[in-house]
Amino acid sequence: MIKHARKAAFLFAAIPVFLFITPVGTASAHGYVSSPPSRQAQCASGVVKNCGGPEWEPQSNEGDKGKTTCAGGDRSDFNVLDNDSLPWQATSTGTSLTMTWTFTARHRTRDYEYYIGGTRVGFVDGGNAAPVDPVRHTINLSGFSGRQKLRAVWNIADTVKAFYSCIDININGGGGNPTPPPTTTNPTPPPVGGTWAANTYYATGAQVTYGGSSYKCLQAHTSLTGWEPPNAASLWQKI
Amino acid sequence: MKRLVIAIAAAVLALAGCGGEAIVPEGQGAHGHGADSAAPPVPTASARFNDADVMFVQMMVDHLQLGISLSQVAMAKATKQEAKDLAGAINTTQREELSTLKSWLKLWGKPEEGGANLHAAHGGQPLLDDKVIGETKEKSGAEFDLTFLNLMAGHQGAAVEMALAEKKDGMNPEVTAYAERVANTRQGQIQQMLKAISEQ
Repeated sequence: MIKHARKAAFLFAAIPVFLFITPVGTASAHGYVSSPPSRQAQCASGVVKNCGGPEWEPQSNEGDKGKTTCAGGDRSDFNVLDNDSLPWQATSTGTSLTMTWTFTARHRTRDYEYYIGGTRVGFVDGGNAAPVDPVRHTINLSGFSGRQKLRAVWNIADTVKAFYSCIDININGGGGNPTPPPTTTNPTPPPVGGTWAANTYYATGAQVTYGGSSYKCLQAHTSLTGWEPPNAASLWQKI
Repeated sequence: MKRLVIAIAAAVLALAGCGGEAIVPEGQGAHGHGADSAAPPVPTASARFNDADVMFVQMMVDHLQLGISLSQVAMAKATKQEAKDLAGAINTTQREELSTLKSWLKLWGKPEEGGANLHAAHGGQPLLDDKVIGETKEKSGAEFDLTFLNLMAGHQGAAVEMALAEKKDGMNPEVTAYAERVANTRQGQIQQMLKAISEQ
């Protein structure tokens, strides 16, 4: 731990502090850590239910730079991300952890920072350039163990804003709260009078009924709400 | 922020000479597409629409085309079957949507082009362009799958944002119903992709 803190202090000292004086604007770029699944990714993928904002826009957890919370603060419907009592799944990891970012738009990047508590455990310079997929960073978590909340920060270069992602991790399986059992997505029960159901895999040629009509699958897919056979003639041919 | 985005885009449209609400003259509705019983009914965006409807549809035309391009690369290159299937389903459903959206713009007398400029007017660089899509062709195996899943999850995330804005600000019932389906289907796709990404 001490060794780690010293390392972090060295990192802090080694990195010049930049002051960015930029016009206040909105960052239309958005992004979040998709793997290991951050809190907003767990909202979006349905692992944690009824999150509100992050359920629909995991990418929009934006706030001023320098926040120490999981929620960015610009939108109150993202405050749910600070609620530690929700059943966030912790990813088991060793001391080396690789993170993957997902972006919905690009913005020039100052840097990426990773924190556990007040300790910065990772820093990647963004080179003032737009990210090029896939963006993956491997950080060293030596000195930490058990259940931890890792805070990933994407600092935008040309606005005052940053995007925040908290990732619950369990380092070297030591202590901490047990990880809740994974929730599985159960197929939605078929509607009355039809065999089609959402969240179900259909192979090409599979046949279903929906709303009193029969359909044949034209393209293998996992069905979704909104892809009901009458709404997706390219997936389902009426027979 | 979304409100500001809409305000900016609305201002752009206003500058371009588009008024507020518009009504398609009688007799120009796209009814009676000679639908035979086997063909699905062609949605016929009814006469009343506003700037938000037009902006959403124009932006979606551009967005759908980029998604189709990326899907086609993935249909050829993805190694995971679930990624290949998803790419195939996105390709075919978005082609269907694209043809519907183009028919609405034609009905309204609005250009199909301009969606990309509207994205740019929002102040950020779009995630996908021809160069980014072209670069994915240089990747292979698990590296390609991860790149595709990340790009598509991000791309569809932007569609959810546009659809939520349309549901709030649009007025045409068919377009807002389409926006509802976009929000649901893209969120469902993102769920599938996030699961696949976390398994990479």
